[in-house]
Amino acid sequence: MDEIISQERSIQAMKARKAVAVDSRTGSTESSLSSKTFEDLFLEHWSAIYRLLVSMIGDPAEAEDLALETFLRLYRHPPKTGEGTNSGGWLYRVATNLALHSIRSAKHREHYEMSAGKGALEDAPETRPPQILETEEDHRMTRLVLAKMNPHRAQMLVLRYSGMPYKDIAKALNLSPASVGPLLLRAEREFEKVYLALIEEEK
Amino acid sequence: MNKHLNDGQLRAALDQELDGSVMDHLENCPTCRRQQAQIKAETQQATSGLSFLGSQAGQSGPDAKTALIHFHQYNESRKEISMFRKLFTSSTLRVGLAIVVILAVIFSFPQARAFADQVLNLFRVQQVVVVPVDFTGIQMLTGNDTLGKQVSDLIASSVTTQQNPGAPVPATNAAQASQLAGFTVRVPQGMTPSRLSVENAAAFTLKVDVAKAQALLDESGRSDLVLPTSINGADVSVNIPASVSVAYGTCPDPAAQDTGIGLNSGGSAGRRYPDCVILAEIPTPTVSAPGDLNIAQLAQIGLEFTGMTSDQAAAFTQTVDWTSTLVIPLPKNAATYDQVTVDGVTGTLIQRPADDAPQYVLLWVKNGIIYAISSLGTDSQQAIQMANSLP
Repeated sequence: MDEIISQERSIQAMKARKAVAVDSRTGSTESSLSSKTFEDLFLEHWSAIYRLLVSMIGDPAEAEDLALETFLRLYRHPPKTGEGTNSGGWLYRVATNLALHSIRSAKHREHYEMSAGKGALEDAPETRPPQILETEEDHRMTRLVLAKMNPHRAQMLVLRYSGMPYKDIAKALNLSPASVGPLLLRAEREFEKVYLALIEEEK
Repeated sequence: MNKHLNDGQLRAALDQELDGSVMDHLENCPTCRRQQAQIKAETQQATSGLSFLGSQAGQSGPDAKTALIHFHQYNESRKEISMFRKLFTSSTLRVGLAIVVILAVIFSFPQARAFADQVLNLFRVQQVVVVPVDFTGIQMLTGNDTLGKQVSDLIASSVTTQQNPGAPVPATNAAQASQLAGFTVRVPQGMTPSRLSVENAAAFTLKVDVAKAQALLDESGRSDLVLPTSINGADVSVNIPASVSVAYGTCPDPAAQDTGIGLNSGGSAGRRYPDCVILAEIPTPTVSAPGDLNIAQLAQIGLEFTGMTSDQAAAFTQTVDWTSTLVIPLPKNAATYDQVTVDGVTGTLIQRPADDAPQYVLLWVKNGIIYAISSLGTDSQQAIQMANSLP
C-alpha cells in the first residue's frame, strides 16, 4: 500500500509542481490567505475538525489545543497552489496527522492507562454503568491500534470513518478516487491484524 | 459489465461509492456478492471499532466564534513564547545551552589569525545571565523555506557527531544516577521523586563555514552584519556531559516526543501535569576552540541578529565575561526575570506569568554544575525551597 500511496503522491506532486510553476510565471509560488478568507475557513471547518479530534484523542482539552494548532498551521503556512482548492481536506489531513502523532507519543502511557481501565472496569463504581466503561475501553483499544498501525493507513481509516466521502479523501491524501477502496480495505485488514495481536498481548 | 469486481471495488461498493453500472453487476452476480460478504465479515472489527469516529454527537466544544477568539490568543501566545518555552525541558535546555555556547564561541574569533598553531581556549559556564531581546524579526523568518534549507545544510555540512546521547536511562535512586552520570547528583531532602533518569553524554565538532553562515545572514535580511572571513575553517569541539533529570509529581515521559512541558501543547500541559516539577543537573558543557578570542566582537553580531540595536549590543557585550557566562536570550514581554539567592549562590528566576500557562524556571551554577528547576505553575517559592534543601 505504501508503494501505491507513494506513486499516487508522486503523480499528484508533479501536478502540484506544474500548478506552482504556472503561478511562478506571475511571480507567486505560494498561496497566502487574507484574514477574511482564513476566518471564513475557520468558521466553516472548526466544529468538524474539533469533533474529529475529540473522537480521536478522547480528551477535549487536548483536542482543542490540537485543533488550534491545526488552524495555526493553515494561518502561518497555508497550502501552496494546487492544494489550496481543497482547504477542508488539507485541514483534515493536518489534524489527523497531529492527532495520530499525539496518540503515538502517548501510547506507552495509554497502554498503562488502558490496563488501569481494565482494573477500573472490574471494580466499576456503581455510579457509572458498565456499558459506558466498556465503550470507553473499546475507544482506548481503537486508539492504541491506530497508534500501532502504519500512519498512512491509520489516517485513511480515520478520514473514512469520520464520514468523509471517497472523493474528499482522495483530495486530502493526494490520491486518485479509484484507489481509495483498495487502500481502505488494506487499512482495515491491518487494523484487524493489529487488533488481534493486541488482544493476544493483553492475555 | 461481465468481469467480476476486485476486492477494492467490492469494498467501495459497501460504501455506495461505485458507479451505477458496476453496482448493477454486483447486484446480479452471486460470486461478487459472496466475496463482498466475506470482505464485510473480515473487516467487521474495524467497522465496529472505528464507528465511534463518525458518531460525534454531544462533542460540540467551544462554538466557532469563541474558538476564533481562542485562536487569536493562541497565535499571539505562540509568537511570544515559542522560543521561551523551549527552556523548560531538560533536553531542550541542553540543546539550548549547547547552541548558546557555540554561538558565543563562533561569534568570537578575531580577524586575520592563523588557527593551526593556536592554543585552544576552553569555555566553562560559571554564571548565567539573561538578556531580554525582541525576537519579532526572527519570528518573521518562520516559514522562509530557503532559510530553513540553508540552516539544515549548514548544520549537516558543519557538524560531526562524536557521541550520541541516546535515550534517557532510568535510575532507581540518586546514588545510581550519580554512578551513571559520573558526578554527585543532589536531590532535595524530604521529597520523593516520581522518576529519575540519566541522559548520557554527547559530543560533536563544528567546522566554521563563513560563506554559508554569511549567506544565512543575508537570506535573513541582515546583510548589514558581516562575519570575518578569518574564522573560516576553524574547528570547535563541544562536549556535553551526562545530565540527570529528577521529576516530582506527574510529569511527561522523557522518552516520548512532544510531551515535554510547555511544548506545542498550549495550556493543556498545565492541565495534564499541574504538579510536575523537574530538577535538571548537568556539569558545565565545555567548548574547545582556537585561542586568542575576541568574544565581545562577534557576540555583538549575534545579539544584533536577535534584534538588539548596535549600541545596545555593544553595551551589553562589555558587561559579560564571554568565557564563563551562559547568556540566555529571553523574548521581551514573554517573561520576567529576577536574581535570587539560592543554594548559597546567585541564581536567576525566569517566570512567565500568563493566565493560561504560567511557567517558571530557576537556574543557577554551583561547583561547575548547572542546575535548573522548572514547573508549570506560579509557585516559584517551591523551587527556591527545593534548591535550598539540596544537601
